[in-house]
This record gives sequence, C-alpha cells and structure tokens, in this order.
Amino acid sequence: MAPAQSPAAPMPADRSMPPLLRSILGGLVVAVPVVVIGVLILWLAPPYQVRIAFAGYVNLVIVVGLQIFMGNANIGNFGHSAFVGVGAYFVAILATPLAAKKLSIPNAPFGLSQVVLDPIVAAVVALGIVGVLALLTGFIISRLSGIAASIVTLSLLIISHGVFINYTDLFKGAQAFFGIPVVIGLPTAIAVAVAAIVVARVFRDSQDGVQLRASADDVLAARAFGVDVVKLRFKAWVLSALVCGAAGIMYAYFMGAVIARAFFFQQVFLTLAMLILGGMRTVSGAVVGCAILSIGLEAIRSLESGATIMGVKLPEMLGLSGLSLGAVIVLGMAFRPNGLMGRLELDELAAGWLRRLRRS
Amino acid sequence: MLVVENLVVRYGPITAVRGVSIEVGAGETVALLGPNGAGKTSIVSAVIGLVPSTGRVSFDGRDVSNLSPEERVRAAMTVVPEGRRVFANLTVAENLRLGGFVRRRERDQDGERDRYLAMFPVLRERLDQLAGTLSGGEQQMLAIARAMMSKPRLLILDEPSLGLAPRIVARIFEHIVELKKSGITIVLVEQNMMQALAVADRAYVLSTGTIRHAGPAAELRADPRLADLAIGGH
Amino acid sequence: MDYAIQQIVNALAFGSEYALLALGLALVFSIMGLVNFAHGEIIAVAGYSVFFAVALGLQSVLGAVTIAIVMGIVTALVFERVAFRPVRYAPTTTGLLTAFGVSIVVQNMLTLFVSPKARAVPVLGPLNQTFFIGPYAVSSLQLLELAVTIVAIVALVLFLNRSLLGLAIRAAARDFSTVRLMGVKANRVIATGFALSGFLAGVVSVFILARRGSVEPDFGSAPVIKAFVACVLGGFGSLAGAAVGGMVLGFLDVAILVALPQKFGGLRDALTYFLVGVVLFWRPQGLLGRTVELGDKEV
Repeated sequence: MAPAQSPAAPMPADRSMPPLLRSILGGLVVAVPVVVIGVLILWLAPPYQVRIAFAGYVNLVIVVGLQIFMGNANIGNFGHSAFVGVGAYFVAILATPLAAKKLSIPNAPFGLSQVVLDPIVAAVVALGIVGVLALLTGFIISRLSGIAASIVTLSLLIISHGVFINYTDLFKGAQAFFGIPVVIGLPTAIAVAVAAIVVARVFRDSQDGVQLRASADDVLAARAFGVDVVKLRFKAWVLSALVCGAAGIMYAYFMGAVIARAFFFQQVFLTLAMLILGGMRTVSGAVVGCAILSIGLEAIRSLESGATIMGVKLPEMLGLSGLSLGAVIVLGMAFRPNGLMGRLELDELAAGWLRRLRRS
Repeated sequence: MLVVENLVVRYGPITAVRGVSIEVGAGETVALLGPNGAGKTSIVSAVIGLVPSTGRVSFDGRDVSNLSPEERVRAAMTVVPEGRRVFANLTVAENLRLGGFVRRRERDQDGERDRYLAMFPVLRERLDQLAGTLSGGEQQMLAIARAMMSKPRLLILDEPSLGLAPRIVARIFEHIVELKKSGITIVLVEQNMMQALAVADRAYVLSTGTIRHAGPAAELRADPRLADLAIGGH
Repeated sequence: MDYAIQQIVNALAFGSEYALLALGLALVFSIMGLVNFAHGEIIAVAGYSVFFAVALGLQSVLGAVTIAIVMGIVTALVFERVAFRPVRYAPTTTGLLTAFGVSIVVQNMLTLFVSPKARAVPVLGPLNQTFFIGPYAVSSLQLLELAVTIVAIVALVLFLNRSLLGLAIRAAARDFSTVRLMGVKANRVIATGFALSGFLAGVVSVFILARRGSVEPDFGSAPVIKAFVACVLGGFGSLAGAAVGGMVLGFLDVAILVALPQKFGGLRDALTYFLVGVVLFWRPQGLLGRTVELGDKEV
C-alpha cells in the first residue's frame, strides 16, 4: 500500500499500524454486524425470540472456536462439542444451588453435591477443566494429520457423550440437569461473541497462525522452514477448546439447564455446516456462515412446524431444515469450496474495495 | 501428422505456454528442446489433453482439441510421461497389460508384448516384480514399452533422460533410434539438447513458453546460440 | 467354553458386517480419495426401496435382496454423478464435507417424505433363524454374513488383481492422470468403483434389514461411522486393512461387552473409540496402512 495514504483515515488494514492493533481492529470490524443484530433483537424482539437469538450466539461462539483449529490447521474436527458439553456441565455441577443438587446429583463424587461456587468462580474452574482436557487430548491430536486426526476428534465426541450419559452420579445421565442459576442475558452473549471473534482473529494473524496456515497448505515446505507443526496445532487446539468451552458455559448460564443430547452430532453437524458455508479459512467466514444459517434455518423451522402463510395452513414438514442444511453444504462445496468468504476477512475485503474506489 | 496451432496454457495467473505452433510430419522424429520451465511438459500435457489449453491440436487431420486424454490415446497418440510414472503398485506384466488397455478386445496382445520384451530383455526377467522396485533406467524402459502396447502412431517422450546416469541415457536413446527405424512418429521432449539433436530430424527450441529457434537438427547442432539456452539463458 | 464359542461367533458376525461396510468405504477412498460419509445413506436408500416394494405387495426374499442390491448400485452411481463429480479433484476435506452434506440431505428426505419413525419391513425375516449345532445356538443370519463377507472379499480381490478393469482401478488409485494416458476412461473407472461400493452397501442393507426388520432414516449412518473407524484402524485406502479393521472392531465390540460389568454397558462405544484413539496414536497410518510419504496429499 502506498505510504502516502492520509493518516486521518486509519483503516483496519492500514499497514502503518502495529500488527496486533490491526488484528484487533479487524476483528472488531467483523464483529460489527454481530453487535448490530444483537442490539436490534434486544430492542425489538419478543422474549421467545431473544431466547432463539441467544442460542444463535452460543452457536456463533462455537463456530468461531471451531474455526481456530479447523480453519488454521485444516483438519476436520468433530470433537469440539465435547468441550462445549464439558464447559456447560461443569458450571452446572459447580454453581447449581444445594437444594437442586440434592434432587439431581445427590451421590456426586468428591463431595461435589455439597459444593456451591459463585457463578464466576465456577465458570473459571469449568474453563480450567476444559483447558486441562484440551491439553491432554491436544497432545494426541496435534501429532496426527488428515483423517486419522479427524477420527480421533470423532472419538473424543463419542467418548464424552458416553461419559455424560453413563456417569450418572456426576452428570445426571441422559436427563436434563436443571436448576443452574440463570445469571446472564443476551448482552453478555454478544460481548462474549465479540471477544471470541477478536481472539480468533488475533490468533489467525499472529505468527503462529500464519505459520500454521502455511503448514496446512504444504507441510513439507513448512517443515523445511523450521515450522514446528505439532506445537502450532497444539496451541490452536487448546485455544479452540477454550472458546468452545466458554460457549458451553454461556449456554448453561442462560438456559438454566443442560442435556447431553445437546452436545452431540446434531450440534456438531450444524456448527460444521455454518463454518463450511461461510468459509473456514477466515473468522469472517465463521460469522457469515453462522448468521446465514441461523436466520435461514429459523425461517425454515417455522415452515417445518406447519406455518400459516396467507391464510393457508401448511402441513408439518419435519426434516425440511435438515434437508436445507445438507443441500447448503453440498452446493457450497460444489460451487464455493472455500466457502462464501474465501480467503479474505470482511475488513480486508472492505479495505480492498475502498482502495479501488479511491484509485478510480 | 500432429499439428499444434497457437497453443496457450495458463495455470491461474501464470502463462506457461504463449502461443506455440508445432508441426510434425508422419514418420518424423521431432525434438522439443529447452531449459527447465520453458513450458515443454505443459505443451505435452496440453497435446494429450491433461491440462486445459486454448489453440488447436489436430492429429491425422482431425481436430482433437475437444477430446479427453483417453479419446486421444484411442486415436493412437500416446505419451511416456515425465518421471516415467510407472504404476509402482502393479507388476511389470500388469503395467504392460494396462498399456494395451485400448486394444483389449484384440487378440494379438501377446505378440505385441513379446516384441517389446525382446527389445527390453531386462523386463522379461522382471515380469512379476512390482514396477516400483525397478531401477530408474528399467522403469523408463517399462514406461516406453507400456506406451507402445497401445500400438500408437505418435509417441511423445517427455524427458526420457531425466535423472538417469549417462550410460543408461545412451541406452535409452539407442532404443529410441530403434523405435524410429520402425517408422513411428516421435516427439522427443528433452533438456539434454545435444543428445536429442543426434536422434531427431528436426527440432524446436523453447524458452519461457515461446519458440525461439526451429530447424533441421543438424543445423541447430551447429548453432552457437543453443549453448546459451542450454545453460538456461534466455 | 460354550459361552466363549458363542461370543466368537457373535464377534465374527459383527466383524463381517463392519468389514463389508469398511470395504465399500475403502474402495471409494482408494480410487478417488473420497471419505464417503454418505455410504450409510446408500444402505438406507436400498433399505427403503425394499420397504416400498413390500408396500406394493412384494413378498419374496429373493426379490427383496435383488431390489436392495440394485438400488444400492443405482444410488451409489447417482451420488457420484450428482454430488461427488464436482468435487473430484478437490482436497480430501472438501469431499468429506460434501459426502457429509449428501448424508444429511438423504436422511432428511427420508424423514420428510416417508416418516421420522421406524417402519416395519418384515420380508427378510426368514433369513434370520436360530438353530442348534450340538449345544450351540447359531443364527442363520450370522453364518450368512460371515460367508458373504468371505465371498465378497475373495471376489473383490480377484476382480482387482486379475481383471483388466480391476488393474485400471488399482492403477487409478495411485496415479489418476497416467491411467488416463493408457486410454482408460477416468469416469468409467470411478463409476465402477462406486457401483461396487453400492453393491456392497446393498448387501449390508439386506443383513441389517433381516436383523432389525425395520427401516428408519438413520438406518445406515450409525453403522457407517463404525465402518469408517474400521477403515482408519486398518489403514485408510487399504482393502485388506478395511477387512482386518472391521474384524478387529467386531471383536473389540464383543470383548468389551463381555468384559465390562453390566453397570457400565453404556460405555461400550466410549471404550471402543478410546481404544481406537490409542491405536491411531501408536500407528497413525493404521494397522496395515503404509506410512504416508511427506508431500503426499494426505499429510
């Protein structure tokens, strides 16, 4: 870019800025629509829609978390919902009041049925547990490539689900674990989503992120330059897990209840589809994909339950939303294999347009 | 027999071949020479249809530009690819069988095979060995024999000397002369200019995707400008 | 002792089914590098075809078997043409996600146009009968599964090793463009591979139908995830590896079922996948897989 650019108009992509600041600003630009939509919903929408929107924001944080590992390391990940589940379950176990616990998990090990932590402390501890699990699993996954790595992430999902369902003393089995204090609302979710986007963007632009993406394109070349692929994958994996864990914590603190089913294939597939549609190479892709699918699927879901359009009552069409989801993936891969966003972030695209506008 | 007109090959933003025209008469041996990156292999790939290109390729007076590679092979053109590309996980015998794929309904496969096994006796000894275990020179012989199994009228050899010891290269070139005597039309793509010119009737010299010189092999051999190109100058 | 023999028979039957499934996946993977998550939906479509035929009055076992197999082949070919051809030269991840999309589409179409609930298909019941050899209770279905798996593996190996088309398929597995230089029609080879995998899916569909007597939208997807694991366990892309991986998984399943106290029975899957993770950590290329060279597409 020309160094003579006017300093009065600092654009996110301005090369004169320190790189970290540029990444943060870039992330914030990408987060603008997230905030705008959230504020509109808070302002205009009825409470039941706020609830739906909240679920959308939880998904957004998951998709952004997923992008951190999958987008940079280019390894298919099916295991991220395990971390969402762990985050959600541990705040449930740690922060739920005693009375509710007596009913749900009276025989919890380590005297956990007698412990109640402040929600914030519980969230920190839960995130710590997610982190420890991420370190352990990351040790294995970062050493594998391609399909073997994907299979191990799948194993992780199935193992975590098996444990949630069968370790009834701690996780209350297949039934819902309820009575969790409801301590946050949509504004917190929006804030967490913005934070997640900035974190993901900073990682993507960091030296580690750049090296990891390079290694995903060509392991051989990256190794020749002395890039430690295993270490980079490990970092991305742990960071990705923490963001997903945070999404789980949010979920538990808003819904007041968690259920193992929510952290299984359905969530994995939905969030994967969002990331793929938007484009996994960029954080913007995660945001765009999540926004389009959340809004689109919500519209389709109203059809699915037999909506009334202009006085005509439509029949129930179970499966329609799933059908659309699958079709989006197939068409997306055929026509835009890199997703809607391709390789550039929203702010980079915008900066490009601005530059061209100025030139012409 | 082979006419290439105004061939252009692009890989995204990079143009590897910029409007090359080549003509090869029946029974001729024509060399395509040039340093690394001159666009030789791109021309070969485009002629056989493995990479998209613009321009016209016709074979035997028939426009083959829109045919798939397999249809071009059926039309009796064939390529011995750069780096030999024998099927390492198949045996020598299986490689040869696959080479005769387009003539699978004919009966005289064995006769054809015996002819090339006689030409390359070392292959006969190794019929049941996996092709991946052969030496480089043996693999090159197998690749040539495999290509000949389809009874082509045009044989395109892409860098047959690549990565081989000089002694082996000399043997391979002897075989090329032998094939030439049998009357087949040959396009010989080589970096090894002098050796190729010794075999060829005519030659085109390429650099950076365009033809720099063309003419009878004997004339080009004497041309001092070639020495520059051989070292990779432009 | 009796108990042990009984369990070994069970393990062989489970293992055969996984092996058949895994072979279908490995075949397609070895030819075009596609991880075909939608293999389960080929099985499901084959199963639903039998359901429709029965609804239209079909009663013969042979008829049902034929329909399942033919529809398996047709479905596989349709998937290839419609969904997989556009992503043929794309990276593995792209193909995997496409397959995964196809799987979601088909499952939801079955939900939408048929029913989200299980539908009874009793026609193949006669295949599943229990009889006694001495003191051992044996199911005819288990024997059939074992026999068919052995025949399928032998036939597949013969086809791939002896026939010219088989040679072309094996060669295409390693070097697609050079195989085209032999005049082999690329599309034909790929379609043949898919048709074969569809055939295997049809056979598996018959077995599952005979055992369960009903179809539902996720009829094929649950077993395919296991088969996928079997493939990776055995070494992805290796046919022998797929067969071995399937058998190992079958034995693992039964062994865990036997060894695990009743109380933890639900942890069977979790434990299986844990062991799979351990195996992959120890041998990332799978039990029979070759070490992938750096620079290969898969790294």
